Amino acid sequence: MKLIAHSYLNRKAAFLNGVKVAHADSEQPNDFLKTYYRELTIDYPKFHKMDALSKSAFISDYLLEPFYADLVDLENKLQLVFANNDSSKQTDLKYIDSYEINNNPSPSLFVYTLPNILTGEISIKHKWYGENCFFILPAFDAQFFADQAMFSFLRGNDYCLCGWVEMNGSENEECFLFLLEKSADTFEIEQLTTLLKSYRNE
Amino acid sequence: MSELKENLKAQIIEQLNLEDLTPSDIKNEAPLFGDEGLGLDSIDALEFIVLLDVNYGIKISDPSDAREIFHSIDSLASFIESQK
Repeated sequence: MKLIAHSYLNRKAAFLNGVKVAHADSEQPNDFLKTYYRELTIDYPKFHKMDALSKSAFISDYLLEPFYADLVDLENKLQLVFANNDSSKQTDLKYIDSYEINNNPSPSLFVYTLPNILTGEISIKHKWYGENCFFILPAFDAQFFADQAMFSFLRGNDYCLCGWVEMNGSENEECFLFLLEKSADTFEIEQLTTLLKSYRNE
Repeated sequence: MSELKENLKAQIIEQLNLEDLTPSDIKNEAPLFGDEGLGLDSIDALEFIVLLDVNYGIKISDPSDAREIFHSIDSLASFIESQK
Protein backbone atom coordinates (compact mmCIF):
# COMPACT_ATOMS: atom_id res chain seq x y z
CA MET A 1 0.00 0.00 0.00
CA LYS A 2 1.24 3.49 -0.82
CA LEU A 3 0.20 6.97 0.33
CA ILE A 4 -0.21 9.17 -2.75
CA ALA A 5 -1.35 12.46 -1.18
CA HIS A 6 -3.18 13.94 1.79
CA SER A 7 -5.14 17.09 2.62
CA TYR A 8 -6.39 18.61 5.83
CA LEU A 9 -8.54 21.51 6.93
CA ASN A 10 -9.83 22.93 10.18
CA ARG A 11 -11.19 26.35 11.21
CA LYS A 12 -7.78 27.96 10.84
CA ALA A 13 -6.28 26.71 7.58
CA ALA A 14 -6.32 24.17 4.75
CA PHE A 15 -3.32 22.09 3.74
CA LEU A 16 -2.19 19.88 0.89
CA ASN A 17 0.64 17.45 1.63
CA GLY A 18 1.63 19.50 4.65
CA VAL A 19 1.70 22.83 2.81
CA LYS A 20 -0.79 25.54 3.81
CA VAL A 21 -2.91 26.48 0.79
CA ALA A 22 -5.64 28.60 2.38
CA HIS A 23 -6.19 30.53 5.57
CA ALA A 24 -9.44 31.19 7.43
CA ASP A 25 -9.01 31.53 11.19
CA SER A 26 -12.75 31.81 11.72
CA GLU A 27 -14.67 31.19 14.93
CA GLN A 28 -17.91 30.78 13.06
CA PRO A 29 -18.95 27.31 11.93
CA ASN A 30 -19.34 27.19 8.16
CA ASP A 31 -17.62 30.58 7.63
CA PHE A 32 -14.22 28.98 7.24
CA LEU A 33 -15.55 26.61 4.60
CA LYS A 34 -16.96 29.54 2.65
CA THR A 35 -13.60 31.29 2.98
CA TYR A 36 -11.75 28.28 1.52
CA TYR A 37 -14.27 27.98 -1.30
CA ARG A 38 -13.60 31.59 -2.29
CA GLU A 39 -9.87 31.59 -1.59
CA LEU A 40 -9.37 28.47 -3.70
CA THR A 41 -11.61 29.96 -6.44
CA ILE A 42 -13.78 26.87 -6.60
CA ASP A 43 -16.80 27.14 -8.90
CA TYR A 44 -19.42 24.52 -8.05
CA PRO A 45 -22.88 26.00 -7.36
CA LYS A 46 -24.14 22.89 -5.58
CA PHE A 47 -21.51 23.52 -2.89
CA HIS A 48 -23.74 26.19 -1.34
CA LYS A 49 -26.50 23.67 -0.74
CA MET A 50 -24.31 21.19 1.11
CA ASP A 51 -24.08 20.84 4.86
CA ALA A 52 -20.75 21.47 6.62
CA LEU A 53 -19.82 17.79 6.54
CA SER A 54 -20.15 17.57 2.76
CA LYS A 55 -18.58 21.00 2.22
CA SER A 56 -15.47 20.11 4.19
CA ALA A 57 -15.02 16.79 2.39
CA PHE A 58 -15.69 18.48 -0.95
CA ILE A 59 -12.98 21.11 -0.39
CA SER A 60 -10.46 18.55 0.91
CA ASP A 61 -11.15 16.38 -2.13
CA TYR A 62 -10.77 19.43 -4.39
CA LEU A 63 -7.25 19.91 -3.02
CA LEU A 64 -6.36 16.34 -3.97
CA GLU A 65 -7.64 16.66 -7.55
CA PRO A 66 -4.22 17.27 -9.18
CA PHE A 67 -3.22 13.80 -8.01
CA TYR A 68 -6.18 12.08 -9.66
CA ALA A 69 -5.11 12.96 -13.20
CA ASP A 70 -2.42 10.27 -13.54
CA LEU A 71 -4.37 7.45 -11.89
CA VAL A 72 -5.93 4.74 -14.05
CA ASP A 73 -9.66 3.84 -14.10
CA LEU A 74 -10.45 5.83 -10.98
CA GLU A 75 -14.14 5.84 -11.86
CA ASN A 76 -14.34 2.09 -11.27
CA LYS A 77 -11.28 1.21 -9.19
CA LEU A 78 -11.48 3.69 -6.35
CA GLN A 79 -13.32 3.11 -3.09
CA LEU A 80 -14.28 5.85 -0.67
CA VAL A 81 -13.79 5.00 3.01
CA PHE A 82 -14.89 7.74 5.40
CA ALA A 83 -15.56 7.96 9.11
CA ASN A 84 -16.24 10.28 12.02
CA ASN A 85 -17.62 10.15 15.53
CA ASP A 86 -20.63 12.48 15.43
CA SER A 87 -22.21 11.29 12.20
CA SER A 88 -24.43 14.05 10.73
CA LYS A 89 -25.50 15.30 14.16
CA GLN A 90 -25.33 19.02 13.34
CA THR A 91 -27.62 18.66 10.36
CA ASP A 92 -29.88 16.23 12.23
CA LEU A 93 -30.42 18.89 14.91
CA LYS A 94 -31.11 21.58 12.28
CA TYR A 95 -33.63 19.28 10.64
CA ILE A 96 -35.36 18.66 13.99
CA ASP A 97 -35.55 22.44 14.49
CA SER A 98 -37.09 22.82 11.04
CA TYR A 99 -40.17 20.86 12.07
CA GLU A 100 -40.27 21.40 15.84
CA ILE A 101 -39.60 25.14 15.87
CA ASN A 102 -40.40 26.28 12.32
CA ASN A 103 -43.19 23.74 11.80
CA ASN A 104 -41.83 23.10 8.33
CA PRO A 105 -39.76 19.92 7.83
CA SER A 106 -37.10 20.91 5.32
CA PRO A 107 -36.43 18.48 2.44
CA SER A 108 -33.13 20.23 1.67
CA LEU A 109 -31.92 19.60 5.23
CA PHE A 110 -33.36 16.10 5.34
CA VAL A 111 -31.19 14.91 2.44
CA TYR A 112 -28.06 15.64 4.50
CA THR A 113 -29.21 13.74 7.62
CA LEU A 114 -26.88 10.87 6.76
CA PRO A 115 -23.09 11.29 6.86
CA ASN A 116 -22.47 9.14 3.80
CA ILE A 117 -24.16 11.78 1.63
CA LEU A 118 -20.71 13.37 1.40
CA THR A 119 -19.35 10.31 -0.39
CA GLY A 120 -22.20 10.74 -2.87
CA GLU A 121 -21.35 14.40 -3.42
CA ILE A 122 -17.73 13.52 -4.21
CA SER A 123 -18.68 10.58 -6.42
CA ILE A 124 -21.21 12.67 -8.36
CA LYS A 125 -18.67 15.40 -8.95
CA HIS A 126 -16.03 13.05 -10.37
CA LYS A 127 -18.46 10.54 -11.90
CA TRP A 128 -16.92 7.78 -9.81
CA TYR A 129 -18.94 4.57 -9.74
CA GLY A 130 -16.96 2.52 -7.19
CA GLU A 131 -17.87 1.43 -3.68
CA ASN A 132 -18.23 3.79 -0.75
CA CYS A 133 -18.81 3.45 2.96
CA PHE A 134 -19.00 5.62 6.05
CA PHE A 135 -18.19 4.38 9.55
CA ILE A 136 -18.87 5.83 12.98
CA LEU A 137 -15.78 5.41 15.16
CA PRO A 138 -14.84 6.63 18.66
CA ALA A 139 -11.81 8.46 17.22
CA PHE A 140 -9.48 8.48 14.22
CA ASP A 141 -8.01 5.00 13.88
CA ALA A 142 -5.21 4.60 11.33
CA GLN A 143 -5.24 0.82 11.63
CA PHE A 144 -8.97 0.73 10.89
CA PHE A 145 -8.54 2.75 7.71
CA ALA A 146 -5.54 0.67 6.62
CA ASP A 147 -7.53 -2.53 7.19
CA GLN A 148 -10.46 -1.20 5.16
CA ALA A 149 -8.11 -0.17 2.35
CA MET A 150 -6.49 -3.61 2.38
CA PHE A 151 -9.91 -5.33 2.17
CA SER A 152 -10.79 -2.99 -0.67
CA PHE A 153 -7.61 -3.86 -2.60
CA LEU A 154 -8.23 -7.58 -2.04
CA ARG A 155 -11.67 -7.10 -3.63
CA GLY A 156 -10.05 -5.68 -6.74
CA ASN A 157 -9.92 -1.95 -6.16
CA ASP A 158 -6.68 -0.10 -6.88
CA TYR A 159 -7.23 3.09 -4.89
CA CYS A 160 -8.84 4.14 -1.65
CA LEU A 161 -9.78 7.71 -0.80
CA CYS A 162 -10.04 7.76 2.98
CA GLY A 163 -11.37 10.54 5.16
CA TRP A 164 -11.86 11.47 8.78
CA VAL A 165 -14.47 14.25 8.68
CA GLU A 166 -15.70 15.74 11.93
CA MET A 167 -17.96 18.77 11.61
CA ASN A 168 -19.77 18.82 14.94
CA GLY A 169 -19.89 22.53 15.79
CA SER A 170 -16.93 22.30 18.15
CA GLU A 171 -13.65 24.14 17.73
CA ASN A 172 -12.02 20.80 16.91
CA GLU A 173 -13.79 20.46 13.59
CA GLU A 174 -11.48 18.96 10.99
CA CYS A 175 -11.31 17.05 7.74
CA PHE A 176 -8.37 14.78 6.93
CA LEU A 177 -8.30 13.03 3.55
CA PHE A 178 -5.64 10.64 2.29
CA LEU A 179 -5.39 8.79 -0.98
CA LEU A 180 -3.98 5.27 -0.86
CA GLU A 181 -2.88 3.13 -3.78
CA LYS A 182 -2.56 -0.64 -4.02
CA SER A 183 1.15 -1.40 -3.99
CA ALA A 184 3.67 -3.97 -2.80
CA ASP A 185 5.46 -1.19 -0.91
CA THR A 186 5.60 -1.50 2.85
CA PHE A 187 3.33 1.08 4.41
CA GLU A 188 3.87 2.48 7.88
CA ILE A 189 0.29 2.77 9.11
CA GLU A 190 1.24 4.98 12.03
CA GLN A 191 2.41 7.52 9.46
CA LEU A 192 -1.26 8.51 9.15
CA THR A 193 -1.58 9.17 12.89
CA THR A 194 1.63 11.18 12.85
CA LEU A 195 0.38 13.23 9.91
CA LEU A 196 -2.93 14.01 11.58
CA LYS A 197 -1.21 15.00 14.81
CA SER A 198 1.15 17.32 12.98
CA TYR A 199 -1.78 18.94 11.12
CA ARG A 200 -3.64 19.45 14.41
CA ASN A 201 -0.61 21.17 15.91
CA GLU A 202 -0.01 23.49 12.95
CA MET B 1 -42.09 43.61 -8.92
CA SER B 2 -38.47 44.32 -7.96
CA GLU B 3 -39.40 44.19 -4.26
CA LEU B 4 -41.09 40.85 -4.86
CA LYS B 5 -37.93 39.52 -6.54
CA GLU B 6 -35.73 40.65 -3.65
CA ASN B 7 -38.13 39.03 -1.18
CA LEU B 8 -38.08 35.82 -3.21
CA LYS B 9 -34.28 35.73 -3.14
CA ALA B 10 -34.20 36.17 0.63
CA GLN B 11 -36.88 33.52 1.10
CA ILE B 12 -35.07 31.06 -1.17
CA ILE B 13 -31.80 31.56 0.73
CA GLU B 14 -33.57 30.93 4.03
CA GLN B 15 -35.77 28.06 2.87
CA LEU B 16 -32.96 26.21 1.08
CA ASN B 17 -30.35 26.92 3.76
CA LEU B 18 -28.04 28.63 1.26
CA GLU B 19 -26.15 30.27 4.11
CA ASP B 20 -23.16 31.23 1.95
CA LEU B 21 -25.21 33.32 -0.48
CA THR B 22 -26.66 36.81 -0.35
CA PRO B 23 -29.59 38.04 -2.49
CA SER B 24 -27.12 39.85 -4.76
CA ASP B 25 -25.55 36.48 -5.68
CA ILE B 26 -28.81 35.42 -7.34
CA LYS B 27 -29.43 36.94 -10.76
CA ASN B 28 -33.02 37.57 -11.77
CA GLU B 29 -32.70 35.88 -15.14
CA ALA B 30 -30.26 33.07 -14.25
CA PRO B 31 -31.50 29.46 -14.19
CA LEU B 32 -32.16 28.24 -10.66
CA PHE B 33 -31.90 24.53 -11.47
CA GLY B 34 -29.27 22.37 -13.13
CA ASP B 35 -25.53 22.92 -13.28
CA GLU B 36 -25.89 26.59 -14.15
CA GLY B 37 -27.08 29.27 -11.74
CA LEU B 38 -27.75 27.94 -8.26
CA GLY B 39 -27.45 24.26 -9.17
CA LEU B 40 -30.74 23.34 -7.51
CA ASP B 41 -32.41 19.94 -7.94
CA SER B 42 -35.72 18.12 -7.50
CA ILE B 43 -35.51 18.26 -3.69
CA ASP B 44 -35.34 22.03 -3.93
CA ALA B 45 -38.40 22.03 -6.17
CA LEU B 46 -40.29 20.59 -3.18
CA GLU B 47 -38.99 23.50 -1.10
CA PHE B 48 -40.25 25.94 -3.75
CA ILE B 49 -43.71 24.39 -3.66
CA VAL B 50 -43.78 24.82 0.13
CA LEU B 51 -42.41 28.36 -0.17
CA LEU B 52 -45.14 29.42 -2.60
CA ASP B 53 -47.84 27.86 -0.43
CA VAL B 54 -46.63 29.26 2.93
CA ASN B 55 -45.55 32.72 1.81
CA TYR B 56 -47.97 33.48 -1.03
CA GLY B 57 -50.86 31.05 -0.54
CA ILE B 58 -50.28 29.66 -4.04
CA LYS B 59 -50.56 25.96 -4.81
CA ILE B 60 -49.06 24.45 -7.96
CA SER B 61 -52.02 22.52 -9.33
CA ASP B 62 -50.20 21.03 -12.32
CA PRO B 63 -46.65 19.76 -11.49
CA SER B 64 -45.76 19.85 -15.20
CA ASP B 65 -45.90 23.67 -14.98
CA ALA B 66 -43.22 23.71 -12.28
CA ARG B 67 -40.24 23.52 -14.64
CA GLU B 68 -41.27 26.74 -16.36
CA ILE B 69 -42.39 28.53 -13.19
CA PHE B 70 -39.24 27.67 -11.23
CA HIS B 71 -36.83 28.48 -14.06
CA SER B 72 -35.61 31.79 -12.62
CA ILE B 73 -36.45 34.57 -10.18
CA ASP B 74 -38.03 36.42 -13.12
CA SER B 75 -40.36 33.53 -13.96
CA LEU B 76 -41.24 32.90 -10.31
CA ALA B 77 -42.11 36.56 -9.76
CA SER B 78 -44.20 36.69 -12.95
CA PHE B 79 -46.11 33.61 -11.87
CA ILE B 80 -46.82 35.03 -8.41
CA GLU B 81 -48.00 38.30 -9.94
CA SER B 82 -50.29 36.41 -12.32
CA GLN B 83 -51.96 34.63 -9.40
CA LYS B 84 -52.95 37.86 -7.62
